[in-house]
Amino acid sequence: MKFIFWTIIAALIGSYWLWSFYSGQMVRWYYYTAAFDGYAINDVTFKDASKDKPALLAIGNFEKIEGLQAVPVKKGGRLPEHANGIIGLDILKAGKRAVLEGEQIKVMLPWEIKESKGFKYRDTFKHKGIITNQWSGAWNLAMVIAMGFALGLMAEGFTDMFGLKLHKIKHFEGH
Amino acid sequence: MFDFLIAGVQAPIILLMLTGITVGVVGGFIGVGGGYMVTPALIVFGFPGYMASGIDATHIAGKSVISTIRHRQLGNIDWTMGLAMVGGTMLGVELGVRLLNYTKKLGIAGVALLAGSVLVMFGIFIYTQLETQRATKKIQEVTKAGATVGREMKVSKVYKFTQAIPLYPIVRCHTARVVISMWVIVLVGLVTGVIAGFLGVGGGFIRTPSMVYVIGATTHISVGTDLFEIVISGGYGALRQSMSGNVDMMAVFWMILGAMLGAQFGSIATSYVRGPAIRYILSYSLILATTGALLRLIYVLTAGKYEWLSFFAVVFTLGEMLFLCTFIISLVIFSVRHTHGKWVPDWVPPLVLKAD
Repeated sequence: MKFIFWTIIAALIGSYWLWSFYSGQMVRWYYYTAAFDGYAINDVTFKDASKDKPALLAIGNFEKIEGLQAVPVKKGGRLPEHANGIIGLDILKAGKRAVLEGEQIKVMLPWEIKESKGFKYRDTFKHKGIITNQWSGAWNLAMVIAMGFALGLMAEGFTDMFGLKLHKIKHFEGH
Repeated sequence: MFDFLIAGVQAPIILLMLTGITVGVVGGFIGVGGGYMVTPALIVFGFPGYMASGIDATHIAGKSVISTIRHRQLGNIDWTMGLAMVGGTMLGVELGVRLLNYTKKLGIAGVALLAGSVLVMFGIFIYTQLETQRATKKIQEVTKAGATVGREMKVSKVYKFTQAIPLYPIVRCHTARVVISMWVIVLVGLVTGVIAGFLGVGGGFIRTPSMVYVIGATTHISVGTDLFEIVISGGYGALRQSMSGNVDMMAVFWMILGAMLGAQFGSIATSYVRGPAIRYILSYSLILATTGALLRLIYVLTAGKYEWLSFFAVVFTLGEMLFLCTFIISLVIFSVRHTHGKWVPDWVPPLVLKAD
């Protein structure tokens, strides 16, 4: 009974978790607002750009980023759909990785190799200047704890059901 | 291949679940979150470094709940000790993070972090190894003399001094059978928290031996209590990481499903062994992690001149996970064989208990 009850609870939590992902709610909460002024982009669309073959992003107030597009955003403003990073004004001013050319952004260096704690990683525009919905932090924690609780009790119910009920260890026997 | 839209990575679900299982076994057995193993693994799978830390911290909170439920059933949790320690740990972690930010300002954070990790882990490894070897010898002597050996055996006497400190309030930890000043428990939490916050890890690998040697709890109770403590401190870490946008919840989802299996095995496996066995595995996990950190330290100090050092550091860390997991599974198998009177290596009997 205990196993069945907690299996149902774990399945419900898991289903809600998956629904949050597939409905896009999880992603919308993650890419929520802009941390600084710049242009919202989707870095996947220009991941193969190079100095020889730069990507040209059309600037406009698009509701959804589709392909090579960039949407101007102000600090604290909501991000358009499919945006996964921001090219800051300082980057454009420096002109090393991307540069503003009229109504277009020319991207020459979509990623750089950087290092942290001895690990090398590819530093892209992804996640740059993104602020997550602060409530999603509480949601994440609640989901993780609830799932852990349900799975833990489900497993306990499973061993109990098969007669593998574990007993308390006698820590001080034989001393 | 699963498309992790938040992390922007494509990775096989099975790899994340296997990582969850492996770290679940090790974490449930020695009472650690396992961040020092998971983060490099996730980086190898292609997750950005900051995402790897965030995913790790969040999955640890869930995994610790699973392990805590099982350890509660085994009577391995001293709630009084755990709750008394949480406050000190949280404060310590905050101080540790501030210390880290200060070293960052001085421009020495990377080297300081790695050198700090190597020193602390190597120190604990040496002490645990020496103490556990002596405890194992003592078990053999007592067994030869025909007396019954209990589940715990330790030769360190540091806790006798700390338990005699007459600083009020004195708390009675019923499960651990320890009577000690609350301030000692808080201080242990604070100091281990500072180290954990500075090194950017959960700190279980420092707290578990501290509870054994400084507070005087048995190894099994230290493991269970530490996992309970990680539920609270790890939960706080998960909240902070999530609010900073470092967490891909789908990666956490698959890892928790794997951890559910691993944590069950790891937690239940503690009932098959004596305290020194857990401390041995803890010390091996420390020396392997230290070697990985040392390789990365040399790599950083030589300004990335030797690429193979970084590669070996990652291979070492991943190999460590598998090695420890295999070691724990072997101990359980040997314990069962020992119970049935079958052959086991000579070093096994002092470490395992005959199953009921």
